[in-house]
Amino acid sequence: MSVSHGDSEARSGSDAVRIMVVDDHPIWRDAAARTLSEAGYSVVATAGDGAQALRVAAATRPDVVLLDLNLPDQPGAQVTRQLLAALPAVRVLILSASGERQDVLDAVTAGASGYLLKSAEPAELTAAVRSTAAGRAVFTPGLAGLVLGEYRRLAQSGASGQAGHGGDSADGPRAPQLTERETEVLRLVATGLTYPQIAQRLSLSPRTVQNHVQNTLSKLQLHNKAQLVRYALEQGVKLE
Amino acid sequence: MWRVVAVFRVITVGYVAFLILRAYSHYAHPAGGLIALAFMAGWTMLTVAAYARPSGRQPWLILTDLAVSCGLILSTRLIDTAGRINHGAPTIPGIWSCSAVLACAVAGGPWVGLAGALAVSAADLAERDAFLPQSTFTNTVLVLIAGGVGGYVVRLALQTEAAVDRAARAEAAVAERERIARGIHDSVLQVLALVSSRGRMLGGEAAELGKLASAQEAALRLLVSGATTEPDVETGQIDVRALIEPLASARITVACPATAVLLPAATARAVGGAARAAVDNICRHAGDGAHGWVLVEDEGAAIRVSVRDDGPGFANGRLADAAASGRFGVSQSIIGRMRDVGGMATVTSAPGQGTEVDVRVAR
Repeated sequence: MSVSHGDSEARSGSDAVRIMVVDDHPIWRDAAARTLSEAGYSVVATAGDGAQALRVAAATRPDVVLLDLNLPDQPGAQVTRQLLAALPAVRVLILSASGERQDVLDAVTAGASGYLLKSAEPAELTAAVRSTAAGRAVFTPGLAGLVLGEYRRLAQSGASGQAGHGGDSADGPRAPQLTERETEVLRLVATGLTYPQIAQRLSLSPRTVQNHVQNTLSKLQLHNKAQLVRYALEQGVKLE
Repeated sequence: MWRVVAVFRVITVGYVAFLILRAYSHYAHPAGGLIALAFMAGWTMLTVAAYARPSGRQPWLILTDLAVSCGLILSTRLIDTAGRINHGAPTIPGIWSCSAVLACAVAGGPWVGLAGALAVSAADLAERDAFLPQSTFTNTVLVLIAGGVGGYVVRLALQTEAAVDRAARAEAAVAERERIARGIHDSVLQVLALVSSRGRMLGGEAAELGKLASAQEAALRLLVSGATTEPDVETGQIDVRALIEPLASARITVACPATAVLLPAATARAVGGAARAAVDNICRHAGDGAHGWVLVEDEGAAIRVSVRDDGPGFANGRLADAAASGRFGVSQSIIGRMRDVGGMATVTSAPGQGTEVDVRVAR
C-alpha cells in the first residue's frame, strides 16, 4: 500500500503506532502483545476488563485498541462506544473468540473499525492492525455478510410499518440504504475477493473500492449514533 | 387458594349481615340474630387471620370451623320463627356456611370437601322439620358441588402451581448451566485459537497440532452458536444459517446475516443441500490450495446463497459435458435440488477464475 495518498500520514510508520490490548484472558493478551511487539508496534498498555480499559486508555492515549468482545464486566459494544466518546481519535479493532454475530455487529455499528476472529494468523492480525491504524476498515468476508444483512434488516423493518425493531419510525432517522454499487462491492468482499480483485472485476480503482466499503460502515455507524441520540432525547422528554 | 376462602368469607359475612338486618324484625328473638351475626363476624376475623399462615391451617381448627357453621345453622331454630323456617327462609349463616366447606376442600381435597358439604347439608336438613322446600334442596346441592368441585379444582390448581414451579426451577437451572458453559466455551475457544495460530506459525509438528485445534475451534464455535437444524415446532421453519454454518472450515469461509434466515423446512434443507454440494465440489475438484466462500443473504422476498472458490475453474462447456455423461454431480445436486423446491441455481466458471454457484429461492 502506498502511503503517499495522505489518508494515513500521521500513523503510517508502524513504530509510531501505540496499541492497547484489552482481553480478560492473560494468555491471549500476552500472545497478542508479543505478536504485535515483534511486528514493531509499541504496545503501551493492556487491560483485563472494560472499566480498566477506559481508565488506562485515558492515561495512555493509544492509537489502536485491540478489544476482546467478551469482557467480564460489560459488552464490547458499550466499551467501544465509551472509548470513542472519551478518545475520538482512537481506532477500535474487535477480536472475538466466539464470533457471536450480533455482538460483532453491535460493536461495529458502535464505531469499531473492524473485527477479526482470534484464530486469525499473526500475519493477518498485524495486517489488520496496520489497516486500522491507517483508518481503513478491516472488512473480513464475515463482516461484509453481517453488514449486508444489517442493511436489509433495516430496510425491511422500515418498510413493514413504523414499529420496526430498534425504534425506526416515520419521524426517526431514516434507515440508511446501500447504493447498487456498494451492494455489489460488499457482496464481492463477502465472497472472498480482495480489493484489487474487486477493482479489476468492476473496472474501478482499488481506492474507490476501499471508499465504497468504508462508506457502508460509516453510514451504519452514523445511523446508530442518530438512533442513540434520538432515544436519549425521548427518554429525557419522558422524564420531565 | 386460602386467600380465596378468606375473600369468600368476608364477602359472605357482609351479605349475611344484610340479610339478617333486613329480616331482623321478623325474628322470634331479634337479639339472638344480632348475637349470631356478631359471632360470625368475630369467627370470620379469627379464621381469616389463622388461615393466612400455614401453621394456622390445623385440622382441628377446620373441624371447629365446620362445627361452628353447623351450629349456627341449627341456631336458626332458636332465633327465627318456625313459620318462616318452613317457608324457606334462609338459615342464619346462609351462604357463609359454605366458607367452612371451602376450607375443608382446600385443606383436604375433593373428598374432605364433600364430607364437609355433607355435614353442612345435614345440619341444614335437621334445622327444618317440614318437608324440605325447594330452596333448601337447591342449597344442599350447591353446597355439595362447592365441596366436591371446589376441592377438585383446588387440587388441580395446586398441582399446576407445583408443576409450573418445577418448570421454572428447571429453566433457571438450564439458564445457569448455559451461562457457566458460555464462560467455559469462551476460555476453551481462546486456547484453541491461540494453539492454532501459534502452531501454524511454528510449523512442523506444532502446525499439525494447530490444525487439529483449529478444527475443534470451528466445531465448538458452531456448537456455541446454538442454532438448531430441527424445524421450529410452531412455524415448521428452519434457520438456513444453521444448515450452512457447519460447512465452514479452514478452507471455507461462511458469511451470514446476524439475524435468522427462516425458510420452510423442505426449502431450507434443499438450499442447505445445494450449498453443501457446492462446497463438497470445491474440496474435491478445486485443488488443494483452493479456498471457498459461502454468502447467505436474506433479500426479503428471496433467499440467496452464493458459493465461490478461487480454484482453477473450467470452461463453461465442460460442465454441460460432464453433466451429460453423468459424472459430475454439480448439475444434478444443485440445479435439480433447487428446481424441486421452486428455486433456481446457476453455475458459472471460466478457466483461471474459479467457480461461482448462485442459488436463489423465493420465500
